[in-house]
Amino acid sequence: MPVATSGKRLGVLGGLSLVLLGLVVTRTWFLQVVDAEGLETRVQEVRTRTVQLLPERGRIFDSDGRIVADNERVLVATIDRAVVRDPADRAELFLRLSGPLATPVTELERRYQSKMYDPLQPVPLKEGISEQTALFLRERSEDYPGVDIAEQWKREYPYAPIGSHVVGFMGAILERQLPYYRNLRYTPNERVGQYGVEQTYESVLRGKPGFVRYEVNAIGQILREIERAEPEPGKDLVLTVDFDYQQFTEQALETMLNLRRRVDAGTVRLENGEPDPQYPEENFYKAPAGSSLIMNYNTGEVVALASYPNFDNRWFNAGITSEKFKQLFPNTTDPDQAIMVNRAVSGRYNLGSTFKPFTAFAALLTGQIADPKRYKYKDEGTYKLESIPNGRCQEGVKCVFKNAFCASTNTPCRYGPVTVEDALAVSSDTFFYKIGEQILTQRGYKPILEEQVRRFGFGAATGIDLPYEFSGALPSKELKKQLADSGAITQEEGRAFYVGDNIQFSIGQGLLSATPLQVGVGYSAIANNGTVLRPHVVKYVLESGTPDGDAGYADLSKAEILEDRGENAVTRQLDIDPEARELVMNGLKRVITGPGVDWDYYHKTTGEFLFKSYPKKELPLAGKTGTAQGFNNLPWNDSSAFAAFSLEPSQPYTAVAYLEKSGYGSQGAAPVVKCIFTAFAGRVTPAEVIPADPLDVNSNLVAKSQRLPSPLCLSGYGGGVRD
Amino acid sequence: MAVMETLRRSTASSPSGLGNIRRSMAEPSRNIDWLLMFAVAGLSTIGAFAVYSTTRPRLLARGVDPYYLLQRQIAYIIAAAVAMVILMAIDYEWLRSKAEFFYGVSLVSLMLVLVAGAVRGGARLSFDLGIVSLQPAEFTKFSLLLLLAGYLSEDESEVLSYHRFIMSLVILGASVSLVLLQPDLGSATVLIACAMGLLLVAGAKVRYIVSITSLAIASAVLASLSGLVRSYQFRRIEAFLNQNSDDSALRNVVLQVRFAKRAVATGGLTGKGFLEGPLTNGAFIPVQSTDFIFSAIAEQFGLIGAGVTFGLFALLLWRIWRIAKLSRTRLGQFIALGAFTMILWQTFQNIGMTLGIMPVSGLPLPFVSYGGSHMVAFAMIIGLVQSVHMRRLR
Repeated sequence: MPVATSGKRLGVLGGLSLVLLGLVVTRTWFLQVVDAEGLETRVQEVRTRTVQLLPERGRIFDSDGRIVADNERVLVATIDRAVVRDPADRAELFLRLSGPLATPVTELERRYQSKMYDPLQPVPLKEGISEQTALFLRERSEDYPGVDIAEQWKREYPYAPIGSHVVGFMGAILERQLPYYRNLRYTPNERVGQYGVEQTYESVLRGKPGFVRYEVNAIGQILREIERAEPEPGKDLVLTVDFDYQQFTEQALETMLNLRRRVDAGTVRLENGEPDPQYPEENFYKAPAGSSLIMNYNTGEVVALASYPNFDNRWFNAGITSEKFKQLFPNTTDPDQAIMVNRAVSGRYNLGSTFKPFTAFAALLTGQIADPKRYKYKDEGTYKLESIPNGRCQEGVKCVFKNAFCASTNTPCRYGPVTVEDALAVSSDTFFYKIGEQILTQRGYKPILEEQVRRFGFGAATGIDLPYEFSGALPSKELKKQLADSGAITQEEGRAFYVGDNIQFSIGQGLLSATPLQVGVGYSAIANNGTVLRPHVVKYVLESGTPDGDAGYADLSKAEILEDRGENAVTRQLDIDPEARELVMNGLKRVITGPGVDWDYYHKTTGEFLFKSYPKKELPLAGKTGTAQGFNNLPWNDSSAFAAFSLEPSQPYTAVAYLEKSGYGSQGAAPVVKCIFTAFAGRVTPAEVIPADPLDVNSNLVAKSQRLPSPLCLSGYGGGVRD
Repeated sequence: MAVMETLRRSTASSPSGLGNIRRSMAEPSRNIDWLLMFAVAGLSTIGAFAVYSTTRPRLLARGVDPYYLLQRQIAYIIAAAVAMVILMAIDYEWLRSKAEFFYGVSLVSLMLVLVAGAVRGGARLSFDLGIVSLQPAEFTKFSLLLLLAGYLSEDESEVLSYHRFIMSLVILGASVSLVLLQPDLGSATVLIACAMGLLLVAGAKVRYIVSITSLAIASAVLASLSGLVRSYQFRRIEAFLNQNSDDSALRNVVLQVRFAKRAVATGGLTGKGFLEGPLTNGAFIPVQSTDFIFSAIAEQFGLIGAGVTFGLFALLLWRIWRIAKLSRTRLGQFIALGAFTMILWQTFQNIGMTLGIMPVSGLPLPFVSYGGSHMVAFAMIIGLVQSVHMRRLR
């Protein structure tokens, strides 16, 4: 049979087939042999998924080992971004997830779009899901592709709100902090310490994150684990704070502020004795805020540090809406209402007469008072400046400065001839006015007072391990210029540092501003004979994993100390002349015990009456009251200050209280300090510290109120002199 | 019936005096090309392993028995074997006589599938019959081959007449246009390749072939510009021309090919080992068990596995080529050469798109890929070619 096809045409077809086969063979050869290596590494990247494992955060214990910041394991549902990149797929999956997670689709979508989450990590869709929900999702992984259950930690504060200003809280990384934490390799949705010890010790508490690398398939399902690096848990902390005293101090402070709100500050009267019509006749103290602290004057350890208003630090991880949050923590420009301010370390206060011991030291240690033992000043109730000519005084320059009014005569108190001791005991202003003038005018207008009080720690940060410390400000030419430039005072006022400024400075008024903590450090330096300490709230940094002891406590005997924060706690050692110290100490002792001075009639010391009911024998004290004048010098704007320290070496404590707009020093602050030392003396037992009830997220209270079970230790007559 | 005749003829041949040689040398059953059978069996075996490795991770991910699709594939292979044996038993001349009928059935089913076919990925390619689905385009390959080979072989002159050339194009055009409407660009090119091969060997004038080729290219360009061809088909070509594109519209196709190439490349000389291929296990390559099966072979068995696959295809094609050469009838020769072009083109096209040298077009690799329709259809074509070979001495 003839086969008609020409060989030529068959050849074309055969040749073509060889070319095509040759092409694929050559291409395969090239891919497999020549390009193989470069492509291999890229394949590695594509088919793995790395999930960060967050470490357990270090726990925080109080000085007794009580666990005051703990961790709870929570389950989080996450979604792999690659699986839901397509909007239609995402909408469908979120719709399916919305039910089991009990979360609206819009919220899931919001989280997917949110920039707060690491774009390379799975998106957390819902925190704190139940075991059942987790099981439900895991068992139906084919219906929920890319959904995974991760374990995270939730911070617990069992005793909230006690100590919240010290312990602090954790929060999301803020927009402005993002670059900082990114550098430290945080993921943007991590929670970090945003206040208190949680913030200052963030680097220690956090630990080191680990990771697990999975091999995944194209739809994000995990095939197997390739590599795993366990996270390193954070280090634990032991506070110097004792929660027994912390709670007691908070209770005393809040109780006292409440009591002061029921007291009438008095009526402002005109010259003729009629009530001033521009003010109401009844003016209750506002007593909006305050702080109180206890520190060990040998070690600098802070035993208690209370600030009111207080807040419950569990609000920050309660998952409340931003509306609710704004309602609880309103944005306010009124300093009286600010909640998130630890007033003990951030308060900017005039100190009033509590400052006088330091003025006294300045005069005694610089020879301004040449013969201290015999030095007397005749207090006539007013002081007229010597350095300003009479003519100028008649032109309107303020030349005459008065003592506070004595209630019995309704004129400036006259204390007669007073020694340094007397001046401190009865709180003579004119005595210190004179020092204030002469230490400037007789010493060539050098800033001697400023230099001297700076040595006691004023005008500089104490270095406490808490955030947002205010370093204080001392009146000086530079400060006035700064204030004038910033508009706080007029350019006219800011032009120079006048005698009047130093006069105000000498009694803790005017442009002086300091924190209650600085007062604590200053009084501690008096108590311990000249050691200016660095106060601190953390005693030890411990190796992670401190075992539990009794219920609610860590077993500190098994703890391994990594760092003793009490080392190098001395900022400065002052050389204090023993004679000078004796004079000041005697004055401060007499504030508590009396006697006062007899001139015209008996003037009791500022604390004598109040401390009548105090067990002076068990725990002798020395202290000083202070009243800081407020706006327009109106009586209801007086802030109450008091600082005292124990004279008993076995209980080396300094206590300070500062109650804003609460009256005289002996009326508001001194009772709080009295209560504290009554407790140290063993006459009052601080209430037992018990774990708080679960946070009621529907509550409108930012913190549960804390009252002393028995307010008797606050009682006593405060005295009628603005001290 | 042809079958009966075959049987009768074999029984009728009287015992000769040649000892125990009871049957003639021309006896069809003694002229089976066993090497061709071996190539087909080898490819199906490699295919079964590759199909299991690619379907397993997907089935496991869905929580289904990982052997499920392998079992189906084995059933398809058995069905294909049965179809091949039946085709081998039938005289190809008789089949030729019914070619118009077969082709007619094909065209009708191609039309039906456009109306009643199951929609997958935007195209109507198959009938969903519950347990199996049928792709009429695959069977059209068989019926077109038979009809066109028969039609062209009728003219025994050196040069193909203009009339027959045009008629061939009409026959081809009928099925190609229907297949393009599905749309199944890949199958259409296979049909065209088959026709071009047959026209070439049938003696079509070179200028006919050149003009028809340029016409085809021109119409393809026009079709894509006018939007007649679905945009995703166009995207595949665009993605092919621009394989490193970051364009999100091309992303899926680009990634598919990129992963396929990586799978081939990372296989290296000896491969990652059976069931050890990360890209295969990770189900990174869409439709890997059908269109991209070669990537699974290359990833797991490396250059050696790919080489064996090429070798088996070369053997297959060589044996078909040899059958064409040995055939004493023009029809037999044309059937074998048409089958040759068809398998050659489809193989090149499939592996070529895996390697990134051809655009993605959705064609299975003959005998290797998962799927019943192409398996049975190609088995029928091989059966037809075997039938030619078995009866060459007649």
